[in-house]
Amino acid sequence: MNGFPLKIVTPDGLQFDGIAEEIVVRTTTGDLGILAGHINCIAPLGMGQATVVIDGQKKYAACIGGMISSVNGSVTLLPTTFEWADKIDVERADASQMRAKAVIADKNSTSTEIRMAEARLKRALIRKNVANLK
Amino acid sequence: MAGVSTKAIKNRIRSMESTKQITKAMEMVAASKLRRAQAQVLSSRPYFEILYSTIHDIVDANRDFSSPYLSERKGKKVAYVVIAGDRGLAGGYNSNILKLVMADAKDKEATVLPVGKKAVDFFNSKKIPMLTANYAHAESVSVGDCFTMANNLCKRYLAGEFDEIYVAYTNFVSVLSQTPLILKLLPLSRSEEAAKSTVNSDMLYEPNPEEVFEAVVPEYLGGIVYGALCESRAAEQAARRTAMDSATQNAEEMIADLSLKFNRARQAAITQEITEIVVGS
Repeated sequence: MNGFPLKIVTPDGLQFDGIAEEIVVRTTTGDLGILAGHINCIAPLGMGQATVVIDGQKKYAACIGGMISSVNGSVTLLPTTFEWADKIDVERADASQMRAKAVIADKNSTSTEIRMAEARLKRALIRKNVANLK
Repeated sequence: MAGVSTKAIKNRIRSMESTKQITKAMEMVAASKLRRAQAQVLSSRPYFEILYSTIHDIVDANRDFSSPYLSERKGKKVAYVVIAGDRGLAGGYNSNILKLVMADAKDKEATVLPVGKKAVDFFNSKKIPMLTANYAHAESVSVGDCFTMANNLCKRYLAGEFDEIYVAYTNFVSVLSQTPLILKLLPLSRSEEAAKSTVNSDMLYEPNPEEVFEAVVPEYLGGIVYGALCESRAAEQAARRTAMDSATQNAEEMIADLSLKFNRARQAAITQEITEIVVGS
């Protein structure tokens, strides 16, 4: 399979820079898969799992926020957070899930608090799902 | 008489020595913080460079649509995100950036979003309207805070509260050199060469250009503000380290100078005593 240059950079540093064969990410409107020779495109990312195929090997990651762009054959993924499955802190995700659930269950929480807790819960669930895939 | 002056000199030497100890300690603290901040800057720099160039590539290639983020308005309402430090004793770090902002904001209706205690205090005393003083502790501002800040700014920009948004920060060039800078965030303007060319881009926007821009621009702002914050933090520690290093050196020089004076005074006192004894006998 043909490869294409892929760069994954987050505010915490460069996560990947090399040749990949396929990348599937969750955008705001659904999953978007990119193979070599893709048309120039740009899409904002939602919250979800990213699958990258490198040397025939599937690698999974939790990828949240940011954007993906493909310009002249090279693909750049600019997520707000990006964690490979084996680097996910499951304990932290668990703790965050518990806290978020507590906020949602609490009748005194304001609507903004609940909205933020829901987002946190979603992130925690994605992380846990991805961590189980490795 | 001679006795009094030696005592005074001795006191000064002692106080100078404790000052030197403090500046030395501060220098070492700054040096260790600098190492951490420097590592963070180096690891996050690729993100900002790529983010900046990607966004500007898109803006340059765009012929397909117009967005409020792209159009220049004639107004004078300007917002500055000003990143300074929490503490002084960092050479010109705080005053340089604040002076630069004041000079730039001269004949505009400026509103500021200060980050860091020094910036908050400064704009308070100058009575310049502030969006929020919630970020008075620059060291604890996180990536999440930057994105919240960016969303807030974008909302206000779209509502027409501001015509332009800038970020003022200190660029960490090296350990010895830091330059205060003002970077324009919004509106996104096309580079000159790109404005001349009329080639149609074949960019695919998923789902559509407007929505892409609506989602991506706040991310861009947040990312750039966070990058500026990382640069500023490293620059602050570097500035403090240099300032404290020279303060320590100055203290050492003064101590050497005073020791010399002290010894002269002591010798003079002894000579005088001997003379008195000789004359008296």
